[in-house]
Amino acid sequence: MTDLAAVGVTVTLDRAPVLNDVSCAVAGGGWLALIGPNGAGKSTLLRAMAGLIPYDGTITLDAADATTLKGKQRARVLAYVPQEPTLPPDLTVEQYVMLGRTPHLGYLATPGRQDRERVRAAMARLDVTSFAGRRLARLSGGERQRAVLARALAGEPRALLLDEPTSMLDVGHEQQVLELVDELRRDTGLTVVSTLHDLTVAGQYADALVMLDGGGVVAAGTPSAVLTAPLIESVYAARVHVIGGSDGHPVVAPVRGPPHGLHEQS
Amino acid sequence: MSRRTALGAAAAFLVVAMLTASFVGAADLNPLATAAALVDRAAPFLHLPTSLGSLDQAVLFQIRLPRVVLGALVGGLLALAGAGYQGVFRNPLVDSGMLGASAGAGLGATLAIVYLGGAGPRAVPVAAFAGSLTGVLVAYATGAAASRRTVLGDGVATLLLAGIAVGSFLTAAQTFVLQRSASDVQAVYSWLLGSLSAASWQQVITILPYAAVSTVVLLLHGRHLDVLAVGDEEATALGLRPGRTRAIVVTASALAAASAVAVSGLIGFVGIVIPHVARRIAGPAYTSVLPLSLLIGAGFLVLADTLARTVLSPAELPIGVVTAFVGAPAFVWMLRGTGPVGT
Amino acid sequence: MPTVSPSCPPFREEEALMGTPLRLVAALAAAAACVAALAGCGASSSGTTAASGTTSAMATPAGTAPATGAAFPVTVKAGNGDVTLKSYPTRIVSLAPTATEDLYAVGAGSQVVAVDQDSDYPDGVPKTSLSGLTPNIEAIARYNPSLVIASQDSGGLVAGMTKLGIPVLIEPAAASIAAAYAQILQVGQATGHADKAVSVVAGMERQIAGYVKQAGASHQDLTYYWELSANPFYSAASSTFIGQVVGLFGLKNIADEADKASDGGYPELSQEYIVTAKPQIIFLADNQAADGGQTPAIVANRPGWSGIPAVQNHEVVGLNDDIASRWGPRLPQLVGEIAQAVEQASK
Repeated sequence: MTDLAAVGVTVTLDRAPVLNDVSCAVAGGGWLALIGPNGAGKSTLLRAMAGLIPYDGTITLDAADATTLKGKQRARVLAYVPQEPTLPPDLTVEQYVMLGRTPHLGYLATPGRQDRERVRAAMARLDVTSFAGRRLARLSGGERQRAVLARALAGEPRALLLDEPTSMLDVGHEQQVLELVDELRRDTGLTVVSTLHDLTVAGQYADALVMLDGGGVVAAGTPSAVLTAPLIESVYAARVHVIGGSDGHPVVAPVRGPPHGLHEQS
Repeated sequence: MSRRTALGAAAAFLVVAMLTASFVGAADLNPLATAAALVDRAAPFLHLPTSLGSLDQAVLFQIRLPRVVLGALVGGLLALAGAGYQGVFRNPLVDSGMLGASAGAGLGATLAIVYLGGAGPRAVPVAAFAGSLTGVLVAYATGAAASRRTVLGDGVATLLLAGIAVGSFLTAAQTFVLQRSASDVQAVYSWLLGSLSAASWQQVITILPYAAVSTVVLLLHGRHLDVLAVGDEEATALGLRPGRTRAIVVTASALAAASAVAVSGLIGFVGIVIPHVARRIAGPAYTSVLPLSLLIGAGFLVLADTLARTVLSPAELPIGVVTAFVGAPAFVWMLRGTGPVGT
Repeated sequence: MPTVSPSCPPFREEEALMGTPLRLVAALAAAAACVAALAGCGASSSGTTAASGTTSAMATPAGTAPATGAAFPVTVKAGNGDVTLKSYPTRIVSLAPTATEDLYAVGAGSQVVAVDQDSDYPDGVPKTSLSGLTPNIEAIARYNPSLVIASQDSGGLVAGMTKLGIPVLIEPAAASIAAAYAQILQVGQATGHADKAVSVVAGMERQIAGYVKQAGASHQDLTYYWELSANPFYSAASSTFIGQVVGLFGLKNIADEADKASDGGYPELSQEYIVTAKPQIIFLADNQAADGGQTPAIVANRPGWSGIPAVQNHEVVGLNDDIASRWGPRLPQLVGEIAQAVEQASK
């Protein structure tokens, strides 16, 4: 149950500002979804939280400044899953998931019985045990994503930073994976911060949304509060219909406007 | 093949190779007498009589055995260094001579042969060793400085390019020095082709400390190289320090390669191919590839050297020729197998 | 040129790029014209440089032509075929140490204006930085030679000298003692000292015969190992020039068994073989500092070599590396050193 907060985070990459004074927070066990158009800075914010890029401002874990944590200490608390993880093709699933134990291994240590148990548990959780000995190159997209998540969980993190964890999955597998993350969250109090491009899905699983645009926060709050048609239309330059929302999880449906050239009929 | 089985098989291979090499040679020593002499030396309390004359015993213990042992050391070190570099650069086409290691050694040896002819036999190994380490140092410093200014991929590519640039420069310098003194061309090229023909226990003792240190350091960092395989960013997220790991592994690999090259000259092919063989046998995890490369590389070079000194007996072939002629087709044959070759 | 405002940098760059190629082409065309003109000049004047050398503009003293007018013109059969010298060569350039020794032995020393960087005998030869292994045509031409002698035709030496009208004698490494004598005679003929050359050769033959007579010519019981280098161990088999020289005494060469057709007489030997062949004499042609520093003391200390008869009986002979690698007038000296070792070993 780790609280995670970003206060006034500014990131400049290659002399171009990518994030400008961004603040957001998620309580322990909560799920924060970062949404926004391409290039808004969602992945960058996640990487800043993971401590992978330099930033101005403060990021705190349980109210302690994250920069006070050494690499390995931070890795024990946070597990980061990038959008396109590097998967060494000839490594087996089990060997790959074992890499997730790195934060818990001493410098010269080799994995022991406890590490193997944690790996087995993570693999079982993600339902990848049946192909634990198969090489990563031989897995389907969904199996691969589950293997990556298993690696993240094997490290017993208190917070998960997921960058587009379901972008390659079909709707069934996407639901499967997100349900799993949600289940973990409820069972173990895992804090989740994820970027999700699908607004509906983001609204269904996250407790709170933060919408970024052009490096700044344009909206933050519950899904019903953030997922409104006028806001989405102005930020995404898209036409949408927002349905439902009484249960707190609106559905955002893209709508095709009249053919080009004709006036819109309101 | 499981790690344990693979290591056991490789160790057995090495032992068989060394035993074979001990019984074979231009001196045509009687095998039974040789066996008796070996056992007697290993277990003196048995008091086994041997029919080997004193000259033959000198050949066996002063000339042949040190050569077998040195061959194993050099082969193991080259293969280990190659595997280390391949892990650091996440690239299977990297050799133990990378980052200016071979080029630096070549320049050092050339300078010693051309300008220090008489102190030559003693000076050449030291110069080659120093040259090799200097080459890597310069390449690493250049690469690290350059990657602070540009971002090519993940900085590893910059390091590789710096290594190529520095290596080319050092080779050019070597060629320049050599052509100023054309009478030393044969001596230098002989050295460049690699040879274990003057192996002695003295040489073994000289490189043993460097060999031990670099081997231990490298073997202890196998797990780190495995983590590095997922890229610098993910490795950092897992708590590893990629830059520091790279520096340590490069240093240890450079030390291993330099010690080998100092006593044997430039023997190609071992550093790039043996790690592949190891991977084909036991998978890409460096916790397996490193020790396996060490054992297989050692056995391979012992066998190659045995061939080099017996195939045209009593004349000898340069060992670099044998490693290429024997190893290249074997490598192609291995590549034919199922599955892709990983990093 | 239109004015460009500083706020339009792309436009200015483009214009600059367009201007440069034109200027570049003009410069290249001018350069090409100059080169063509020079080539034309050069072609018309080649072939007129006489081989006499009497029109030398350099101040270095050159040899004066003697009164023996009948010796020239002379055609000499050298390693590169028939070479004709129209007149007495007063400015000779030597690009090989053996050729240098030959020249001075036949009395042509005063005609020599330059020798290569490796020529060091006799004392006081006009050593220069010329290289016999990688000759620089222009550098050689600067000495305005009337004759050039080298041991190999590398770097297009013969072709280059021919274009300049300078005769070249190629006297390669002798394959036999008779060939070595023949070279001295050729050098004598080409330089106007044919008679002296004949007497030099006769003297050599006499001296060598004397050594052989004294030490004996039938020592088939004695084996020897001739070391050219260590690590790797290169040796010379009996088919080589050196092998023939030692063969005058009838010794057996341990490298013969290892010599394959492809080695050309210089096989690389395995240490084990050398030791178990138990040679009674070891000749070191690599014992001087500049050649590898393998002194008899170092050789005796090589691990495993202490059992070799040559080491036990102190028959490891460090030769004068220079004399051992040349085939010139000092050959008798080498034969003498070998004879001494043979006599000692057969006691």
